Amino acid sequence: MQFILGVIFFVVIVGLVDAGLPWPKPRPKHPPR
Amino acid sequence: MIAGHFGFAALVKARERQAPLWALMLATVWLDVVFVPLFLAGIETIEFVPGTHGGYGAGIIHADYTHSLLGAVLISALFGIAFGVAWGRRTGVVLALVSFSHWLLDLIVHRHDMPLLPGHAAAQLPKLGLAVWQWPWAAAGMELGLLVLGAWFYWQAARAVSVSAGVGTRRAGLAGALILAGGLVVLALDVSGIAG
Repeated sequence: MQFILGVIFFVVIVGLVDAGLPWPKPRPKHPPR
Repeated sequence: MIAGHFGFAALVKARERQAPLWALMLATVWLDVVFVPLFLAGIETIEFVPGTHGGYGAGIIHADYTHSLLGAVLISALFGIAFGVAWGRRTGVVLALVSFSHWLLDLIVHRHDMPLLPGHAAAQLPKLGLAVWQWPWAAAGMELGLLVLGAWFYWQAARAVSVSAGVGTRRAGLAGALILAGGLVVLALDVSGIAG
């Protein structure tokens, strides 16, 4: 149970909070021209 | 081990800032995510250590597909390739390595139950694991160390990017605090066995 709770918490909740930070974006394989 | 893996992913995020944290968090437990349906199907199993009723570190895990060396390499490579197509080679490689880090960290704690190859091919080969789970507090201390280090370095990096972008540092603090607090809760649940 703690595994499922952990995955949901860290991937979804922490992931959403982190996504609002101004991190550099991943560089796509073929950047748009 | 659960919380320690999340701590390691946070540590990697501090260094590989272009890799989205949610993907690093998923990568770090990807072998266990794949393990779940195989466990439910009875293909991979957990056996209690004789003389125990299970609980933290008291399992011998028969996960010949997801936690064999070859299986872990293949599953991690596929994970990295899937994300690398969208996010580029570097991020794909980072995610594959974080996924494989799960096997390396598990190697420290598992009780000689990690095969080199999946299936019957592994029968004649030794199974690996340094069995730190024999000393649960040492294993829990290692997880705690990874968690604190990960939350600390993540927070430092998140704060730095926020300052350089000219935005407030409140969200960085919140994210760092969530990693630490969430990890402590998961570790406490894991060690105590309260949540099953």
